[in-house]
Amino acid sequence: MKKGLLRNTYIGSLAAVIIVLISVAAKGYKIFPAKGNDVCFACHEDPDLTMEHDGRKISLFVNSSNYKKSVHGGNDCTDCHLNYNPDDLPHTKTKAPVNCKDCHDDAKIKVLETGLHSKINCSDCHSKHEIKPAKEFSKEQTDACLKCHTSRNVQAYRTSIHSQKKEGCESCHTGGHNAKSIPKNEVAETCGKCHGQHEKSFNNSIHETVLKGGNNNAPTCTDCHGSHRILTSKMSIESESCLRCHLNSKLFPGEGKGSAKFVADYKTSIHASIQKNGKEAAGCSDCHGNHMIQNPGDPEASTTRTRLPETCGKCHKDIVDKFLNSAHGKALLNRSVAAPTCVDCHSEHSIKSVRSSDEFSKINQVDLCLKCHQEGKLPHKNYKGEEVLISDYKSSYHYKALQEGKLNAATCSDCHGSHEMKKFDDPTSRIYKKNIAQTCGQTNCHTKQLNEYTGSVHEVSISTKTNSDAPTCTNCHGNHQILKKDEQTNLISNSKGLVQLCSSCHASVELVRKYNLPTGRADTYLGSFHGLAVRGGSKLAANCESCHGNHNIRPSNDPLSTINKKNLPETCGKCHPGAAETLFNTPIHVTNQQSQSPLLYWITRFYIYLILIIIGGMVLHNAVDFTKKLKKKSVPASGEKA
Amino acid sequence: MSDTKEKKYLRMTFNERVQHFCLLTSFITLVITGFALKFPEALWVTWIRAVFGENFFELRGTVHRIAAVIMVSVSVYHLLYVIFTERGRQLITDLWFKKTDVMDLFHTFSYYVGRSSTRPKFSRFSYIEKAEYWAVVWGTIVMGGTGTMLWFENTFLPVLSNSGMDIATAIHYYEAILASLAIVVWHFYFVIYNPDVYPMNKAWYTGYLTREEMELEHPLELEETESQDEQPEIADEKEVTEFPNPKEIETQPPVPENPSENKTDKTLPQPDFPNEVKTDVKDSERDDILRQNGDNTVNSEKENKKN
Repeated sequence: MKKGLLRNTYIGSLAAVIIVLISVAAKGYKIFPAKGNDVCFACHEDPDLTMEHDGRKISLFVNSSNYKKSVHGGNDCTDCHLNYNPDDLPHTKTKAPVNCKDCHDDAKIKVLETGLHSKINCSDCHSKHEIKPAKEFSKEQTDACLKCHTSRNVQAYRTSIHSQKKEGCESCHTGGHNAKSIPKNEVAETCGKCHGQHEKSFNNSIHETVLKGGNNNAPTCTDCHGSHRILTSKMSIESESCLRCHLNSKLFPGEGKGSAKFVADYKTSIHASIQKNGKEAAGCSDCHGNHMIQNPGDPEASTTRTRLPETCGKCHKDIVDKFLNSAHGKALLNRSVAAPTCVDCHSEHSIKSVRSSDEFSKINQVDLCLKCHQEGKLPHKNYKGEEVLISDYKSSYHYKALQEGKLNAATCSDCHGSHEMKKFDDPTSRIYKKNIAQTCGQTNCHTKQLNEYTGSVHEVSISTKTNSDAPTCTNCHGNHQILKKDEQTNLISNSKGLVQLCSSCHASVELVRKYNLPTGRADTYLGSFHGLAVRGGSKLAANCESCHGNHNIRPSNDPLSTINKKNLPETCGKCHPGAAETLFNTPIHVTNQQSQSPLLYWITRFYIYLILIIIGGMVLHNAVDFTKKLKKKSVPASGEKA
Repeated sequence: MSDTKEKKYLRMTFNERVQHFCLLTSFITLVITGFALKFPEALWVTWIRAVFGENFFELRGTVHRIAAVIMVSVSVYHLLYVIFTERGRQLITDLWFKKTDVMDLFHTFSYYVGRSSTRPKFSRFSYIEKAEYWAVVWGTIVMGGTGTMLWFENTFLPVLSNSGMDIATAIHYYEAILASLAIVVWHFYFVIYNPDVYPMNKAWYTGYLTREEMELEHPLELEETESQDEQPEIADEKEVTEFPNPKEIETQPPVPENPSENKTDKTLPQPDFPNEVKTDVKDSERDDILRQNGDNTVNSEKENKKN
């Protein structure tokens, strides 16, 4: 029994050893691959190992250390290179290609078969011997893509912001085996995965609308930003991108708004020609927006009429603030159809420098304003409520001087302001009655006259009273049709006109009563020698201005007044050198002879009665004489002639 | 009426006529240019202004002053004339107011109202003409004085003060009205519209009055001259021949122009030009005619016959 057990044990252990040995033999290389691969590397580690194939030299070098590090480093060479016999040369006669699917046969791989990359080898991306783990590979995937995708456009990706931000090809093209090209109508959506806000804006844009309408000419993200070479948004991409299409007269025919021609004007504008930080002062997107570009007819568009001030105000804030407070701005915000917005004066694209362009030169500015402000179109009223014909300006001396090249002469904006023009009844308006003198007397204009006028009885009345009827500059000189003083049609060019002008207030019963003005100024003047001479056409005789001054008219009790008693000899002495010693014992304007100049009164009375008596007596005498003589003559015969 | 030549009675010598002419032209000029100042918008002033253009006012002033100088010069000349000539002194003597003038005025009115049947007989100058003359003297002094003040206003302004100038202006104006009206109402009536002399007393350019005119206007003077003799008129005649008016003397035939009254049917009396300096009218004849016609003038009788 003991002898049987021992034998059984021996047989058993032997069998076990045999089994182990068999199993080890059966496993072969698999258990000790290094040993098998070493056989391969014995040759293939040589960088110079090559073979001829179809007349070409093919390197047979495999970097063994890299291979060992790769994800397949634990596999035998023959796991992939099936049927290779290291002892034979060549190693195989069947030349079976490496088929990754032998091992990697799952859903991920199947996708490839229908995808873009169905025709390429796995090794094209994953390499042959240095295959990396999926996680590691995905980081370098883009490099793999760019190995084949060598077009300049795609290669430019490397300089793009996406590259810098480590957004690889897969971010857009779906990575892994599912890579795909992106059709135009999916671009926005694709970009929108990251740039959702912009996609949303773009989806509201006219570009998107047109695109959806089936017009593939309309741009999507990549048309402006480029596909691969996408730079930071701060870089100039806009105008060139926009103009690529918008200057194409086939895409945008005609001459109207929206046409290529219309857009081409932009090139002449100051926005395009002045550079700021390396780009246009204002590019297309500064006004039109970038992603949400809308038709100006759309009330939400940044370029719609009512929103233009806001749009332009992004850069021109001060100006737009003034504009919005102006009559024009207020009308615009009230949705007045006639109200002008920025582009009505400055035009849409060909915006020029106001200082240097001919369009805004002082003289051309007039026509710009008169486009709207002319007879029959936009009647305006002055502070008296009288209608003003603005085109009268063209007959003014201001305009004439401009035509003669005197650029100091006032044009519309010099008095009304350019953007801040307001109606006459706005107290902050430059043409508000209280402000007119300041406007006319502004620096470089009529400062001397303003100095004279300041402190005059008229000026004091205006500045201290509300709604004074006292005259400011325009009451005497007119507003738009201001003429040179010596021009014949100018009321103040001649004494008659001047007297008429002053009389319009000083002989007005209403005004004389309202302001308790001295009465009879005009009557007494017109009856005096001065007045009679002026009425008779004398150019020398004194008119109102000769004694009272013009801008500096002051009441007689003011020591600065030309008609202050102290100054009378000098004032009168201008014409009457002898007047220096004159005793002015009665008023110049004698309105009540009896109290003011009794002697004159009584002499006048005396003469009137004298004339009545003497001439009356003569008439009586002669009438009697006449009838008597006629009677005598008619006695002898009938007919009488006398 | 008779076709006899009429005797002429010297009324104004050539010298006096020249004085009168200067006075009348300067006076009318002054009236026109003066009132053109005072009433610059009057229709007639606008006409004148339309003729002379825009400088009319200055021209008006200049002409007014020229006329004033002429008038004052004539006045001064007249002053010298009445001082230094015999005829001048006689003029003043004859023009001097006398008591009879008051009586004449009174009688004239009683004649006018019918209380008296005859008109008072006037001498060389009736009270009408005397008033006229002295009014001119007075007016010339006043207008000349105030006018000078206004002309040289820069000299007088310090002296008279502004109220003084106002007064001078007023006087100049009212005196102008008075003078103009006096000339129109008084003088023009008696030398033009007066039915006795209508259409005009021609002595201002002929120098002579007709016998009829003398009879009507200056019967006393006529009587006086006739009572002396014809000599003074011969003397005057000589004086006149020194300043012959060729038109009057040569071009006009010595024949009176209306010898045949039936030929003409003109309604107005023909201007009766004194054609002859020399006259051979028979005074006796004329006197007879005048006596027959009583107070009727020769002219009116002609007129009556025509009608």
